[in-house]
Amino acid sequence: MGADGNSDRTVADEPLIRTVDLTRHFGLGGLFAKKQVLHAVDDFNLTIHENEIVALVGESGSGKSTVARMLARVYPPTRGEIYYRGRLLNKLRSRKDLLWYRGEVAMVFQDPFSALNPVFRVSHGVTRNLALHRPDVRRDQRRREAERVFESVGLNAKMLRRFPYEMSGGERQRVGFAQALAVRPKLILADEPVSMLDVSIRAGVLNMMSNLRDQEGVSILYITHDLASARYVADRVLVMYAGHLVEEGPTETILGDPKHPYTQLLLSAVAESRQDAESISGDTGEPPKVINPSEGCRFRWRCPYAIEKCSQVTPRPTPIGSRQVACHVAVAQAEANSAAVPTAPITNT
Amino acid sequence: MPEPLLEVRNLSVAYLTETADVRAVDRVSFTVAPGEFLGIVGESGCGKSTLLFGVAQLLSPPGEVVGGDVIFRGEDMVRLGPDDLRHMRWRDFSIVMQSAMNALNPMKSIEAQFKDTLEAHGTLSHEEIQQRSAEVLEMVGIDPIHLGSYPHQLSGGMRQRAMIAMALLFTPQLVMMDEPTSALDVVAQRSLMTKVKDLQQSLGFAIIFVTHDMSVVSRYSDHVMVMYAGQIAEAARTESIFTRPLHPYTRGLMSAFPSVTGPRRELVGIPGAPPDLARPPTGCRFNPRCPDVMPECLTQDPELYVVGDAEVRCLLYAKQTKKAM
Repeated sequence: MGADGNSDRTVADEPLIRTVDLTRHFGLGGLFAKKQVLHAVDDFNLTIHENEIVALVGESGSGKSTVARMLARVYPPTRGEIYYRGRLLNKLRSRKDLLWYRGEVAMVFQDPFSALNPVFRVSHGVTRNLALHRPDVRRDQRRREAERVFESVGLNAKMLRRFPYEMSGGERQRVGFAQALAVRPKLILADEPVSMLDVSIRAGVLNMMSNLRDQEGVSILYITHDLASARYVADRVLVMYAGHLVEEGPTETILGDPKHPYTQLLLSAVAESRQDAESISGDTGEPPKVINPSEGCRFRWRCPYAIEKCSQVTPRPTPIGSRQVACHVAVAQAEANSAAVPTAPITNT
Repeated sequence: MPEPLLEVRNLSVAYLTETADVRAVDRVSFTVAPGEFLGIVGESGCGKSTLLFGVAQLLSPPGEVVGGDVIFRGEDMVRLGPDDLRHMRWRDFSIVMQSAMNALNPMKSIEAQFKDTLEAHGTLSHEEIQQRSAEVLEMVGIDPIHLGSYPHQLSGGMRQRAMIAMALLFTPQLVMMDEPTSALDVVAQRSLMTKVKDLQQSLGFAIIFVTHDMSVVSRYSDHVMVMYAGQIAEAARTESIFTRPLHPYTRGLMSAFPSVTGPRRELVGIPGAPPDLARPPTGCRFNPRCPDVMPECLTQDPELYVVGDAEVRCLLYAKQTKKAM
């Protein structure tokens, strides 16, 4: 993405967070084993604007959590840059800068049962975050601020006194969001926040996420494998496969008329209702572990439309209308159609 | 109506703890016909897995069947001794556990585990064992080359398939599955379900499929049973439960799902959380969360009422209909 790689933009048109060719590799094998490199994320570009919920969708092993961890600075990227409000993240080194960044970008974890310390009351995480990141809140005001944060995620202020074991999964996940919100972040990285919750409780957490965007002005990176919930809350969707971005664009555009064969496969797997049980492909594959990859599309082994070019050239995300697609076949088709009338969407929207 | 393969009558299971007896399954009755696909749906803690364990006689203390019968092919399994049950397990009915990673032995190859199972029920020659193992593995769509593989060498979807292959070693008449797909990704989940349904149609076994995900069963099951707080909330044919859900809880579950097609609508979900079964609410157990709650719901225990071909445990239907049992 040559144009996007340009780092000297003005701050005014700068998105909240932006990555340029973000890449993370992990070395595998022991001391004497032949060097193997797992490509968890390769050349990944993402932007999140203010007041926006972006869904990052993919199966397990597609690298979506690795992206979140790099954004949260759990580990540094192997290659590529992350810009937060125009500031290069690698350059943040002092404790002051890091505290600032962690106050701006907070994380919510997948498993509400193991993310909270069982020996502390749930108020602990919230007030600790206030003490660390909110010097403007005086010690005696922390209690009241914690209550405000709790109420903003739909919890009763009295629940601050509880221990994690006294709360249900949905309540605990709200505590996770309250802890994140306590620091007044601009961006919340939510890694599968509802996948461990019961269905009857999920809707509440999803609704809370859109309220946070609308009322607190928070942006959220919503990591999920569930297309339906992504459609429900997200403004924009990014689909990942085996460490690559395969398709990106406005939610309704992507899910209403997916162009990448992988997005189409994902969508056909969740398409509800009973009528089309036969339309499911016999595909039994799972995302490959990308170890020492060669050039080429990583989806080609499962792809019904693969052509020769797919095994020779790695497709890069290419704009088609308001979206980007990393697929030779889809791009060629779009180019062929560009003179003709645009094709009708496959599914009704 | 053909003779049912399995008939569960008023089965109750309790966990006998020091402070209270927690009745995790409360007087549940249902039947499974040969070749039928029954889906049991409910949230965590509703007793669905306990019910399955109660049917399969796999409960261990403090869990215990405290009432009711499980008639399988004319025999009451609750009253059978461990030896009789051992002869039936795998051969007549089998069970596929939720987490294949924990259910498979990490120290043994797939073939060795299949061999254990086969040898427990008769003496087969080495060749026969190998042949049958390869056969079932191929049936679930795994290359027999993986017979020599250890569980950690297989992906999540393949492990779950290997578990299903193991359950089919003897082609039992009943296969019980406890959330076999919940650890899998959507695509793997869908292809596994398609495979299970194909196998069921070709081999003709009955399935009891326990899940928390209504959309999984919607496409494959013949009947659906919705459980809430240890009781049957609603049971009906799959079509009728999806086109006309009767119980407010079932309706809540349906509207808690966002959809990938069709209009975007506001999700309501169900306020509150499932009750603590040690202290269930009086009256209807769903009354603290119910949008249609009436005064009598707080005091009166609803029975299962028959409405059309459905059974529903809700006082809304008390007046218009008669009792189910």
